[in-house]
Amino acid sequence: MYYQLINFGNEEFHAYPNKSLYWKRLNTLIVSDLHIGKSISYAKNKQFLPPYDTKEILNKIFVSLDKIKPCNLIIVGDLLHDVFSTLSIKDQDYKNLSQYMKNTDFIWIKGNHDKNIQIEGFKNFTNYKIEKFLFTHIPIETSLFQICGHYHPKVKISHRGKTILKTCFVHNEKIFILPSFGILTGGLDIHSTQISDVLGKNNLSIYPVGQDKVYKL
Amino acid sequence: MNINKSNPILLHPLNKWMKKKKWSWFPHQIETFHHVRTGSDVVVFAPTGAGKTLTGFINPIDDLIKLKKFKGLHTLYISPLKSLANDIVRNLEKPIKELDLNISFQVRTGDTTPYKKQKQKQKPPHILITTPESLALLNSYENAKEFFHNLKYIIIDEIHTFLDNKRADLLSLNIERLQTFSPNLQRIGLSATLKNKQDAKKWLCRKKPKIVSYENSVLPKIKILESKERIPWSGHMATYSINEIYKEIMKSKLTIIFVNTRAQAEYMFKNLWLINKKKLKIAVHHGSLEKNLRLKVENNLSKGLVDCVVATSSLELGLDYGDVEKIIQVGAPKGINRLLQRVGRSNHNLNTPSKAILVPTNRFEFIEAKAAIEEIKKNNLDKIDLKEGSFDVVAQHIFATSCAGQFNLNNLYSEIIKAYPYKKLKLNDFKQLINLIQDGGYVLKNYDQFKRIFQLRENKNIYKLVHKRETRKYRMNVGTIIENPMLKIKLGTKTLGNIEEVFIQNLSQGDSFIFAGQVLEFQTMKNNLVQVKRSKSLISKIPSYSGGRMPLSTNLANSVRALLAKSNMWDSYPEQITSWLKRQKNISKIPKKEEYLVEQFPRKKNFYTVIYTFAGWHANQTLGFLLLRGFKEFNYKPLGFVANDYAIVLWSLKEVKEIKKILNLGLLDKHLDNYLEETSIVKRLFRDNAIISCLIERRLPGMEKTGKQVLFSSDLIYTVLKKNEPDHILLKSSYEDAKKNMIDYDRLREILKKIDKKIILKKLTSISPLAVPIILEINRENLSKKETDEYILEDLENEILKEANVLSTN
Repeated sequence: MYYQLINFGNEEFHAYPNKSLYWKRLNTLIVSDLHIGKSISYAKNKQFLPPYDTKEILNKIFVSLDKIKPCNLIIVGDLLHDVFSTLSIKDQDYKNLSQYMKNTDFIWIKGNHDKNIQIEGFKNFTNYKIEKFLFTHIPIETSLFQICGHYHPKVKISHRGKTILKTCFVHNEKIFILPSFGILTGGLDIHSTQISDVLGKNNLSIYPVGQDKVYKL
Repeated sequence: MNINKSNPILLHPLNKWMKKKKWSWFPHQIETFHHVRTGSDVVVFAPTGAGKTLTGFINPIDDLIKLKKFKGLHTLYISPLKSLANDIVRNLEKPIKELDLNISFQVRTGDTTPYKKQKQKQKPPHILITTPESLALLNSYENAKEFFHNLKYIIIDEIHTFLDNKRADLLSLNIERLQTFSPNLQRIGLSATLKNKQDAKKWLCRKKPKIVSYENSVLPKIKILESKERIPWSGHMATYSINEIYKEIMKSKLTIIFVNTRAQAEYMFKNLWLINKKKLKIAVHHGSLEKNLRLKVENNLSKGLVDCVVATSSLELGLDYGDVEKIIQVGAPKGINRLLQRVGRSNHNLNTPSKAILVPTNRFEFIEAKAAIEEIKKNNLDKIDLKEGSFDVVAQHIFATSCAGQFNLNNLYSEIIKAYPYKKLKLNDFKQLINLIQDGGYVLKNYDQFKRIFQLRENKNIYKLVHKRETRKYRMNVGTIIENPMLKIKLGTKTLGNIEEVFIQNLSQGDSFIFAGQVLEFQTMKNNLVQVKRSKSLISKIPSYSGGRMPLSTNLANSVRALLAKSNMWDSYPEQITSWLKRQKNISKIPKKEEYLVEQFPRKKNFYTVIYTFAGWHANQTLGFLLLRGFKEFNYKPLGFVANDYAIVLWSLKEVKEIKKILNLGLLDKHLDNYLEETSIVKRLFRDNAIISCLIERRLPGMEKTGKQVLFSSDLIYTVLKKNEPDHILLKSSYEDAKKNMIDYDRLREILKKIDKKIILKKLTSISPLAVPIILEINRENLSKKETDEYILEDLENEILKEANVLSTN
């Protein structure tokens, strides 16, 4: 499977075009901001998005797990969009999940969207430390290297008179932000104040996600 | 028509006033009065200046005076433009005030204050002047039935602008609703002259349908600018003739220069300003300018305080500017009706001819201008093709209906199919649209507990809105006009107008661009506001506005072909045009009216195929894409294509040997779906469909979501839906829209059906004179959005890698 090699905190990570990140040395797969059930949550407000996002996101995860067979799957927050989201997870999905949980630890870092929700078999954490790395939804004050989500980063690229906005992986020296793994999720420009307050403006490593490839800027 | 003493028009309440003014009734006014009095629905065709507005009101005024103390709403007047509504009031005011008639009238548009709207609902005037959108809103109120149940007349002004678009669909549905409320309602349509008058009649009239027509016998005087300069091969900016245009402005008291795009307007304005030695008062007017700026220009125009206004179609309709002496049309006329409408803006006196000068910006446009003048002499107008109504508008209408109260599915369906555009709407499609409003209409039933409308348990045919608060959402999303994401431009605290977000995204701080006739420097963008300052920069960009491309009418295209073939006319053309055509005749061929010339020649290592279809840009663009696929299939290794209104050019690595085997109807059937898929045409239309059908909400002022994000998320919805539910009604709807509007499907089909027998193939050793203009337009490759994105990323990465290599080897 194609990947882009990313060096962060003196470790090698693989960034996949499906917006997941793989830490090969520890056989750990990392995803963020799946926002499962966003459609059903919008339906509450009578905005009827196609109700297929949950199925597609879970399938994307299952395909990755089949290929990589990781020991750990770390979700750095916002697995679910809100309390209603579980309504969109079908019995068959639960069965599949428990099958995968036999070989993989599902580590669920809680995000702002899914703080108080439980799903059987998931191990819940507010943040999770492995060696010198801290997995957390929103970065905190720490001397550790942090891998997080929350911001759904996108990068604006102007080249030869054209401008495009692309989902991306982005990090500075200490903080790594994953793109959203969701289907109906939008994004935020990495130069917006929300993101630059966290990452700063300079010395960013940016990896836009293309159709079948992750690029490096 | 003779007016004998017994003619009822002489007893009309306005007759006294007409006499005092020393005016007499136009024949079409008398005729309309008669038909409407005897119970007919009527469409009146008359040129500007022939008392059209008054014609509509003759019967309502007569009726109101006869009924004496009529209470409630009597007549509804629908205008296509808000600004026209106010003008109507001014016209109506004069006779009613001078005769002291007991008739009340008011305007209701998006600009009317909530307070006034509320008062109107409590105590309606006799005559209400409004727009299709405001009518739709009125129909969505719970008391709509009581409000309209006494309505006697509905007048549709400028009905020719309402025949072939989604706004027309919306209006047609709401007229049928009014007819249900008030079965005796009579319909009066007012139109500019039209070729297919019967179609307009079919669209509007139900009761004893009648057409009343008044043709102007005075033809306009239109000529082509006689330029001493060289007419360019291609391009659209008319820079070559700017001095001559300026001289023409000086010669007349008041001139309107019409151009085809906003970018052209800005450019023309700037260029005139640069040579404005006489300090003429020149202004610019287009749809993106702030309303106040536009109003100021319009005001100055009607008072004769300017010498010249450069305008787009924004000044085509509406107000009477009596003092305009001359119209200059810069660029191709594109259609006979459009040209007549524009020319008619000068000299609103029926007995003297309007004067206009056409300025072609390139050589093909010269032929087009000439052809247009010929057709106008023959009074051969364009047809306006009626289209089947769009699904998304029905969805919106269903939502609106549910806001007004519970409804019966069968009753609503039978009301809708009375509207002309929806005569063929299938019950099954209608039911799917009900489901769309209910819960998105997906096969996967996830939203049962979140429905917007629900069926009553005791009668499954009756639907009811879940909660009253949903009405607010309908009212925020009413209408069929979806604008591109726009940002406000601020110079200091002053708003200049709106500019496309896409354009601003391509600017960096310090870049300058032209807007509202000023050179501006881009400073910052915050909260959807673009802050600018004045700039003295000489290099500046001009905002381009997507979707501004005007279609070349089939009628005019045909006459361009015919004219081109008439070689006995050539000697009357300017020398440069004549010699261009003569050389073409010698080197290759001038196609006859029914022929399709195909030229092939090698050029710079590649092989070129040029096809002269004269089918208009939309159809040619589609054909270009299809041919690209066809060429690939035959392994000719095509590299790209470019299309304009007249022709398509494709270039390939290998010689295209079997063009006749590719260029036929099979091409369309085989590759069209593929084409729609790859060019994201359907995807773009899906956004409009999703917004019009109220599946997603439109951006409103003060909402933080920018237009780009709306576009983005509708793309996501499209992708998910396409993958999981390809038969969804909104996808079907978008696909139909694409076929109807974007790709000129029917026109292309007509051409391809008969093309194989009419191809004239010319193998040349080098480029022909006729091919030069389109070859000059080759400046970019045609890549789909997806491909473009990948291309940009890859290119950028390669560049950076190159840079990195250089650094490491040094």
